[in-house]
Amino acid sequence: MLNKLLAKKEFIIFDGAMGTQLQAKGLAAGETPELLNFTAPDMIKEIHSEYLKAGADIITTNTFGANRHKLARCGKTPAEVIPAAVNIAKQAIAQSKKAAYCAADIGPIGQLLEPAGTLRFEEAYDIFAEQVTAIEKSGADLIIAETFSDLYELKCLILAVKENSSLPLICSMSFEENMRTFEGCPPEAAVLLCEGLGADAVGVNCSLGPNELMPVIERICSLTKLPVIVQPNAGLPDPMTGKYNVLPKDFALAMVNAAKAGAAILGGCCGTTPEYISKLTAAVSELKRVNRERVSYPAVCSGTSVCVIDRPRVIGERINPTGKKLLKQALKDGDTGYILNQAIEQTSAGADILDVNVGLPDIDEKAVMVKVIKALQGVCTLPLQIDSPDPEVLEAALRIYNGKPIVNSVNGEEKSLSKILPLVKKYGAAVIGLTLDENGIPKKAEERFEIAKRITERALGMGIAKEDIFIDCLTLTASAEQAAADETLKAVRMVKERLGVHTVLGVSNISFGLPKRELVNHIFLAMALENGLDLAIINPNSELMSGTVRAFRLLKNIDVNCTEYISAYSEESAAQATPQKSEEMTLSDAIAKGLKDNAAKLTEQLLTTEAPMDIINNRLIPALDKTGAEFESGKIFLPQLILSAAAASGCFDVIKRELSKGGSSISKGKIVLATVKGDIHDIGKNIVKVLLENYGYTVIDLGRDVDYETVVEAAIKHDVKLVGLSALMTTTLKSMEETIKLLKKRKPDCKIVVGGAVLTEEYAMKIGADFYSKDAKQTVDIAKKVIG
Amino acid sequence: MTIEELDKNEALRYLGGKNASGAVLTVLSECEQALLKVLTPRYVYSVYEIEPCEKGLKLSGSVVTLTGNDIREHLFGCSRAVLLCATAGQGADRLIRESEAADVAKAAITDSLASVAAEQICDRAEQEIFSKLEYAYKTERFSPGYGDLPLDLQPSLLALCDAQRKIGLHVTDSLLLTPRKSVTAIIGISDTPVQPRKKNVSCESCPAFENCKIRLNGGHCGKYNAE
Repeated sequence: MLNKLLAKKEFIIFDGAMGTQLQAKGLAAGETPELLNFTAPDMIKEIHSEYLKAGADIITTNTFGANRHKLARCGKTPAEVIPAAVNIAKQAIAQSKKAAYCAADIGPIGQLLEPAGTLRFEEAYDIFAEQVTAIEKSGADLIIAETFSDLYELKCLILAVKENSSLPLICSMSFEENMRTFEGCPPEAAVLLCEGLGADAVGVNCSLGPNELMPVIERICSLTKLPVIVQPNAGLPDPMTGKYNVLPKDFALAMVNAAKAGAAILGGCCGTTPEYISKLTAAVSELKRVNRERVSYPAVCSGTSVCVIDRPRVIGERINPTGKKLLKQALKDGDTGYILNQAIEQTSAGADILDVNVGLPDIDEKAVMVKVIKALQGVCTLPLQIDSPDPEVLEAALRIYNGKPIVNSVNGEEKSLSKILPLVKKYGAAVIGLTLDENGIPKKAEERFEIAKRITERALGMGIAKEDIFIDCLTLTASAEQAAADETLKAVRMVKERLGVHTVLGVSNISFGLPKRELVNHIFLAMALENGLDLAIINPNSELMSGTVRAFRLLKNIDVNCTEYISAYSEESAAQATPQKSEEMTLSDAIAKGLKDNAAKLTEQLLTTEAPMDIINNRLIPALDKTGAEFESGKIFLPQLILSAAAASGCFDVIKRELSKGGSSISKGKIVLATVKGDIHDIGKNIVKVLLENYGYTVIDLGRDVDYETVVEAAIKHDVKLVGLSALMTTTLKSMEETIKLLKKRKPDCKIVVGGAVLTEEYAMKIGADFYSKDAKQTVDIAKKVIG
Repeated sequence: MTIEELDKNEALRYLGGKNASGAVLTVLSECEQALLKVLTPRYVYSVYEIEPCEKGLKLSGSVVTLTGNDIREHLFGCSRAVLLCATAGQGADRLIRESEAADVAKAAITDSLASVAAEQICDRAEQEIFSKLEYAYKTERFSPGYGDLPLDLQPSLLALCDAQRKIGLHVTDSLLLTPRKSVTAIIGISDTPVQPRKKNVSCESCPAFENCKIRLNGGHCGKYNAE
């Protein structure tokens, strides 16, 4: 419908504001505007009619907030509000006798999605699906999603539209002057995601006036092949009078610039009136639409950052349990903290993208993958590469991923191509194609090239863009097949030159079984880069490996003026200038002073002469007891206590690593910790966690905003003697009480300790807790009492 | 608005600390620098005439009533009220989450610095707002959850300021503001000097009264009137 209209007209004119028009007509502040579809349908129809008269080709229904969550206050449902609103719009169109269309409006839900808020992705999907289903039945001609600022929420909505409707979809986000949405999404990410998921138009609305929005409009027009929509505010409102500061004629002039930049769908948002739309219609009536050249934009993104594959990029390989004991253990224990740390480490080492593989024989890979991706995207801004051979795992992860990820991988086998490529297409991802098939990995470069060609053609045939296909010519182990290294490099070159797609290689495998592996790895990496490698899957924490990529970018004149190289290494020389004086310090000093790095170093030194358990019992625990006692007596305060605890955990990590080498571990017992449902204040609980771990307890950390059931299930599964619950809000104490009730019923032998700023001992006892703890130190004392 | 510096002593007070030692000060400065980089201070406000009614104060031209005795006492003598919504932005929340995964000490310190940032943003917002308004006198900020002003006013205050659209401020079903480092407040304004009747707005009405580290250490956060 949109394309047909664009074939007939140079520009599609949308209407202007609904909300501010309603206020002008007497809607009281704080009232639910969607109720007017029932109480004042004529007022709504009049606004529609005025916009149609002013020149609008498409009018927007009064359903911006018609979702279950926002309507809850007024007692109506989307299934009631939406048909009523569409009906009013359709009547207005019929009366106007114009060939105009009705766009059903969908705004944000009004709650932030996890992890910034508490709304779950799946719940948000349900909310949108309910709206879309009502829209589909209502007879609207298209759907406009507008004023979105969270890319994750927009993704949820696009999926709900694609899976529940066949109507065209326009996606519009609100950007600030810093070229980001409130949630930090840049226009590039919006374009990548909307195009990938199959939106029919993309653009901007609200937030600013047309002039301030120009840089964003230009940016979007330069990137996308989709029609671009622009609906700015009439400038900014005066808080006293509510009046907007851009006049209709100036608005129209500015919109001409938007049209010249390449926008094809034009309208207004807050503060605009029929007069604005009428001036806009007149201003563009003589104008021709700009035919934008679509440039190739090879990139992947997270919700807040974009990685353009316009130079060799590093994919961090560390989140993959193969050959990594601690990661295996962390995955089995559900310890996402360890995995997040791996992500943070690789990010600061210079990775551009992170591979995520959680495949272990005895875990529920799908559930763990979803959990890990959700956790990662809460703290890590890099785009992710979802690594699994299982289509079900891939789909579950693709669904909840916030951004455009890479799928690792498809191969030349028919069953892989037919199962995985449709997922890549549906979720708008990029994909790695491995040059192997039913017959294994071919020896010769030419044969691998043939498979690459087959994969590429199949992907293109399914509508996957060429720039989203990355071919992996496969690294074989040089010690086993020495001649293969050269074949791989040759294949990389052939694929790059003849197919024109991007190339990717897992590099580290080359040196398997050899001494001095890094030496071989980094030379092979340099050779591969010279042969056209775009994406190197490596360990970015290895200085030599990430350094090789940096040096390559420098030598190829990609890193212009060596800026990136210098900024990566100039800090290092500064750091070297201040030598660590750890030899003069004891472990106890380091912990008392809260020096984490020193504590870790000293522990490493001690491990050469002392047994791990001796270090814990004779040094770590006494040091912690001392700071604990000083805290209790008021000699030191919370910040020092936490720093000491963090330093002690630095020491503990070193010891754990040492013990895992011998396959043993230390644990005095398990404790489940959770911040209760509805609450996302996590700090207090995390301090308790670190301190408990310092004293040798294994903490099953369920995180924040945790369902009652989840707490109980974890307590039963791990058969713990103690559960710790935290709540910071008066409003979430109710959740604490419910959790306790359920625990007492289902696992009565388990003791419960509670804490949190608004809690009192008296209240804790009233809601059935066994212990009240005023701080982290006291929780340790309670754990000692309960567990020993 | 840009915030160039954060009140680190205030952050220490929130953490319940005094006489910070070397390591604490170093981490505090590190965290401050990291936080300043990701802050996106924003605020929005609207001004309403207030009319006393049975339940409290009605904001005229709206469907919202500020209920309770404490707000009535606080705005005594004022003809209008400024509703202020302010936030330190998503970046602060993200940084805290990131530090939680990497280093709990930094997380706790960043969290408390971010609370300070939210207050500083409010202070600056107030300055900017009152340099434009013609009213000579104003009260202190008063927020839902203080005294008997119910927390469940949050959704209405956000709606009246269109805060979700204008500054990206949301509220959860459990009435938590998100981004977390955000404040909503009511400030009374008047042509004549205002003397809020303070008796009900003491420390004791604060939800954190019982365990307040600041109070137990002999301090006072300033949100409520000290004893």
